[in-house]
Amino acid sequence: MLNLSSFVQKAQQLLDPTQGLNLTDSDKNPSKASLFQSQFRLPDSQHPLYEITAELTIPPSNVTQGGKDQDRGFHYAGKLHLSEQYLCFSTTPSSFLQSASTSTSSAFTGQTHGGGPSGNGFTFPLSSIRRVERLHSQNFQFALAITTWNGISQDAPKETKDKKEVREQRITIQLAGTRVACERFCDGLKKGLRAAVGHVGKLKKVIGECYSEYLLRPEEQKSANPPDAGLGMIFRYPGDPKKLRDRAKMRLWAEYLRDNGRNVTLIRQPTFHKLIRVGLPNRLRGEIWELTSGSIYLRLENPTLYADTLAKHVGKESLAIDEIEKDLNRSLPEYPGFQSEEGIGRLRRVLTAYSWVNADVGYCQAMNIVVAALLIYMSEAQAFFLLSTLCDRLVPGYYSTTMYGTLLDQKVFESLVERTMPILWEHLVKCDVQLSVVSLPWFLSLYINSMPLVFAFRVLDVFFVEGPKVLFQVGLAILRINGEELLDAADDGAFISVLKNYFARLDESAHPKSENPKLRAVTRFQELMVVAFKEFSGITHSTITELRLKNKDAVLNNIESFAKRTAIRNLGPESKLLSTQELGAVYDRFYGVLYERQQRDLLIKQEEVRRARNNRISRIGQAVDEGNVEKGRVGLGPSTSLMDYDAFREFLAGIAKWAVSDSPTQSRRDTGSSNGGGFYNSFRKNESSMSPWGNGPEPADHEFLRRLFSKWDFDSSSALTLQNVVTGLARIKGKRDIMGTINYFFELHDDDGDGKVDREGILRMSEALLFLSRRGLEGALDRATAPNGMMTEGMVTPGNDVPDQSINERFLGSVSAFIRRCFEYADPDHPTNQNSQQPAQQQTASPQEDNLIAIDDDDAAAGLADPDAFAIGDDDDDFDEENDDDLLAMESPTASPRLAKRPDTATSSLQPPSSLHLDTSTGPSSMSNNDEDHRRRVSRQQSEKANIALDPNNPLHITLPTFRMVVLADELLEQFFESSFPCSFHLIEGINMCSSGGNSSGNNAGSSSSYGGVGGALGNTFSNIGFFGGGAGAGGNNQQGGGGGVAGAGRGLRGVLDNIVTDGMRVAAEVRRRMEEAQRELEKNAMQAGQQRAGANRDDEDDDEDDGGPVEGLSLGGNGGGGGSAAGSVSERRGGVRSSDRDLLTGADAEASDPTAEAQLQHGAGEASGIAGGNGGAGSVTTAKVVGVEFDG
Amino acid sequence: MADTNAPKPSSSVKLVLLGEAAVGKSSLVLRFVNNDFQENKEPTIGAAFLTQKCNLPTRTIKFEIWDTAGQERFASLAPMYYRNAQAALVVYDLTKPTSLIKAKHWVAELQRQASPGIVIALVGNKLDLTSDSTGSAEVSGDGDDNAEDSGDARKISTEEAKTYAEEEGLLFFETSAKTGHNVTEVFTAIANAIPETSLKSARGPGASHAGVSRTEEQRVNLNGPRDPNAKEACAC
Repeated sequence: MLNLSSFVQKAQQLLDPTQGLNLTDSDKNPSKASLFQSQFRLPDSQHPLYEITAELTIPPSNVTQGGKDQDRGFHYAGKLHLSEQYLCFSTTPSSFLQSASTSTSSAFTGQTHGGGPSGNGFTFPLSSIRRVERLHSQNFQFALAITTWNGISQDAPKETKDKKEVREQRITIQLAGTRVACERFCDGLKKGLRAAVGHVGKLKKVIGECYSEYLLRPEEQKSANPPDAGLGMIFRYPGDPKKLRDRAKMRLWAEYLRDNGRNVTLIRQPTFHKLIRVGLPNRLRGEIWELTSGSIYLRLENPTLYADTLAKHVGKESLAIDEIEKDLNRSLPEYPGFQSEEGIGRLRRVLTAYSWVNADVGYCQAMNIVVAALLIYMSEAQAFFLLSTLCDRLVPGYYSTTMYGTLLDQKVFESLVERTMPILWEHLVKCDVQLSVVSLPWFLSLYINSMPLVFAFRVLDVFFVEGPKVLFQVGLAILRINGEELLDAADDGAFISVLKNYFARLDESAHPKSENPKLRAVTRFQELMVVAFKEFSGITHSTITELRLKNKDAVLNNIESFAKRTAIRNLGPESKLLSTQELGAVYDRFYGVLYERQQRDLLIKQEEVRRARNNRISRIGQAVDEGNVEKGRVGLGPSTSLMDYDAFREFLAGIAKWAVSDSPTQSRRDTGSSNGGGFYNSFRKNESSMSPWGNGPEPADHEFLRRLFSKWDFDSSSALTLQNVVTGLARIKGKRDIMGTINYFFELHDDDGDGKVDREGILRMSEALLFLSRRGLEGALDRATAPNGMMTEGMVTPGNDVPDQSINERFLGSVSAFIRRCFEYADPDHPTNQNSQQPAQQQTASPQEDNLIAIDDDDAAAGLADPDAFAIGDDDDDFDEENDDDLLAMESPTASPRLAKRPDTATSSLQPPSSLHLDTSTGPSSMSNNDEDHRRRVSRQQSEKANIALDPNNPLHITLPTFRMVVLADELLEQFFESSFPCSFHLIEGINMCSSGGNSSGNNAGSSSSYGGVGGALGNTFSNIGFFGGGAGAGGNNQQGGGGGVAGAGRGLRGVLDNIVTDGMRVAAEVRRRMEEAQRELEKNAMQAGQQRAGANRDDEDDDEDDGGPVEGLSLGGNGGGGGSAAGSVSERRGGVRSSDRDLLTGADAEASDPTAEAQLQHGAGEASGIAGGNGGAGSVTTAKVVGVEFDG
Repeated sequence: MADTNAPKPSSSVKLVLLGEAAVGKSSLVLRFVNNDFQENKEPTIGAAFLTQKCNLPTRTIKFEIWDTAGQERFASLAPMYYRNAQAALVVYDLTKPTSLIKAKHWVAELQRQASPGIVIALVGNKLDLTSDSTGSAEVSGDGDDNAEDSGDARKISTEEAKTYAEEEGLLFFETSAKTGHNVTEVFTAIANAIPETSLKSARGPGASHAGVSRTEEQRVNLNGPRDPNAKEACAC
């Protein structure tokens, strides 16, 4: 009845850990938000709120040049997107509406023709928008004029005088959509702009660190200190600036930035991408990297994160820091900046700060090289954020602890080679050369370590705009160009030396023998770029994504099996006590539990976020990273390898029956909601996965578990490592000698390790014994000792009624005898030791008081527990309200009134003992009189001894030898320690609580309730109720319910001891009756539990009803507003630029075209200089009336 | 490849270096290959590849040395490098007990996962930091920051490591890459320990062909690339 299917599913998962764990939805169907973020390189906090088809009009640049033919400006058709803090325009026709298909959402993953995923357009932070005006257009269209804060940093002092220099950046956007859609969009924009007013200060600070601000400042205003553009400003940039034509590039960029806005207000036009392909000028390189990779938006989000992180962790140490220190002196040692304290200091700080903010990654060799390279061109803070973007977005998983990203991309690369260069691939296979031994460093250090620096930076320039596919394109081009030589290489060594050679000669002519001087001038590097981006232009982002997806499983499995192998082998010598098979199972379960818990946490969190979002309609900053659902899988780099107490319980519940809670509150409650009325109608189908324990059995919480946990937790870190768990298990299960187990059990209860266990401890031990045996004993039990000859052999399945019961009952007797004997043979404490050895409570409280305390504690516990703790044995359907009353009633100071106040609980254990007797006759009892008599005798004896022993004025303790003797005196106890306790850990096969369906659960609950019943009946307390409620986590995350229940169980037993004189027969009868009853009641109970919980969750559930995205009303209007073709004529409008500069740009095209055609390429900007297509699109926009909002904050 | 008509038969041996970070793997290789010692070597990304010949009386062994990165997380890459290796140098640091544990892990990994019959040498490096160092006086001026004041920083006794090595059937050496002590000996011992038989089928399937057939193959391959290359270029 505990939904069988979910267990089967779970079992399958355990058998095949790859199943059900992999390839989450987010992998195959990345969320629209994450696609949106990666297209515009926005932080995770941004979500696509509104989008609309639009036409962008950029006015002619009339400041730097008065070209007449540019009057019409530039027109781009595309989509305008609005997120919480950004307004983005892109010519890439992608849509991120909820209703949009995956293909339109991932349109950017296709060929981008050098434009990068975000295409032409802009990505404005709303805080960079100064003013938005709504223009009335002739043809009933919406048009917005957007004025930005471009140049904000320099217009402060003498506005009037500089007006000519600082032109206001003003663009026009025509919205093409239904009126409603346009209105909606504008409303959203208005709201966003209002919220963004406060961020302008932040924006100023961030762009103040951008070199472009300095570059565009008029000469007389240039302050002495330009913004930090990296170590290159001090130690020179790599390469010969003349050869790199740095000045010319700088002039081109200055012009572009003047015309199209700088840093965050930059508008991407085709020239932008061309300028990047020819290589960035040194001083702007850092800024453009920051812009194209999107790391500037991260910096904008939290500009002080870098400094704050360093300040927060100043003086602290970590493993990562040790590793960083080792590598500081050997990061780009050939660059003078890194031979100086200045450069090394920067490197240290950036790497350290990153290791703090992303402790999961920490530090990985190769990061030092990448960061060192970044630092040549950018400030520390810029490098820090760019490193974050790299690790999270651009090369995810490359530097993680398992480096799965690196390995995965190697597989992807290999399959690309196989696909594009089959002959070379065949050759590699034949010669048994493993490609990744060569290519892995390329990817891992982004070619920085492989090529001469100047060329590696050129690759990086493109990489940051166009994304990871660039690494593959370049890699393939390298192999293609060297194909012939590589075919001659027959082993790794030869292979490597061919490529080493090649890299060393990248600056040489690609065609040294050519007649054509133009062709001769083409360097090998240029050839490489051309091959990479022309020949392999078919390698797109989606190619890579697809192949990553395809290979992911295999790679992760490989890593995981390696990790498992290694982890198991590296476990200490104690692990040898367990078989390899057992170790493997423990390993799987250990990480399985951690993984599942993380998944559930995440789901729960997402659910909360979803609710929150639905509540407040829109715009809620989401804390959950939606793309990250897979966290926790070992292969991805364990985000945690530590098991906390709750996870430990869950772990044990998977291998030991006794660790499973008695009241499975988490069973399907959807079925129980039938009488819940409207409140339950909104129940989600996935509710069960929202329970803190998932689909698995709910773990119990008992003091024994806690003791076990702290015992295994050697270093008291409140968390267990795999090593801890294995060592712990090995000590119980591995030795298989009774003395060892007995000792272990004793030590477990010897709190101060002095070899003595006091009265309290003795009671705890017996509680633990009852706890462990409440689902029946396992292991080899001696047939002969069974009075009825029906003793089970081997493992006792819970469904096996008769023998199970008899053993349980006998074991109950054994435990009673155990207590009695313990007290009988206990040594009195030395008076002087008394204080230290006796818990305070013991010294002061008389048994009665003790009992009272117990009840009070129980109240507290019950308060925490889920109300359905009371559900067991209740056959009244409408008890919800009463039950709540009971909770209150429990708080009354004495025990007796409570008895009367519990009319709702029909279980007889809760009624005065006298009535118990009557009940026995009604309950079907198969117990022999013989047994009952025996039990009665035992009880009597017990009580006599125990009552004396319980006198707190006679403190006492038992020692290990005494304990051992007492245990060995009882055959059943002996067997318990000999085999059934060690056997109760089913490491390999696990337990399947559902194997016998409802029957077994019922029986389990029955046997456990019997013990509760004993306590309750004898002790006149109701604390056993708590036992029933054990583990009954209240709805949602509340796990304290279990705690409450256990406390109750303990007190119940205390009751047994205090009132041990009570007739044993009654106990036995009660046990029997309760077992039967509980069995019958279980189904009902589960249902009621469901109702209870449903009630508790009402508020939450309400929120669910109102679903449906805030944006769904937006419909896509039209298919772009016509307008001019995207390609503007570039070359014609560059009057201010020297002709030599223009040559450079021509070079860009030369590089992007086929090498053979190179020679003929004399003319302007090649194919990209298309016909200016703007045909008066702007004409329809008149600026007659300004309706818009103005924000001059 | 290596079938030069040298007077002595020559064959390649793939050797991989494994061990905890900063035990001196790269330094050992550098000493062996270049007879040099460097303070700041670039960190090994993935693995470094070097070759060096080792002259034995009867034959010449050309070592193809894969020097792997020591950082823990690179461990998952190791199988890529020790694949097909005929010899392995598992290095630990005499002054760092954890490094021997790590070395034992590597030995176990190799024994279970690497090609059968792999020759493994256990090498305790940084002998120059111990009092029984034989050559610490010879080389100076490197200013090794690891140098201990008191002289003996040894934490792992020769006995302990040797016993372990004998149990596992490993070659065992204590070396100093800094002074050069015992370094060549390690490699020579490995060269001697490689069985003749494994040298014949040293490399993968490609290498097992006879000389004639290989040249033929290569000729085919040489012709091959041009046509398909051109075709693909058009397709793109």
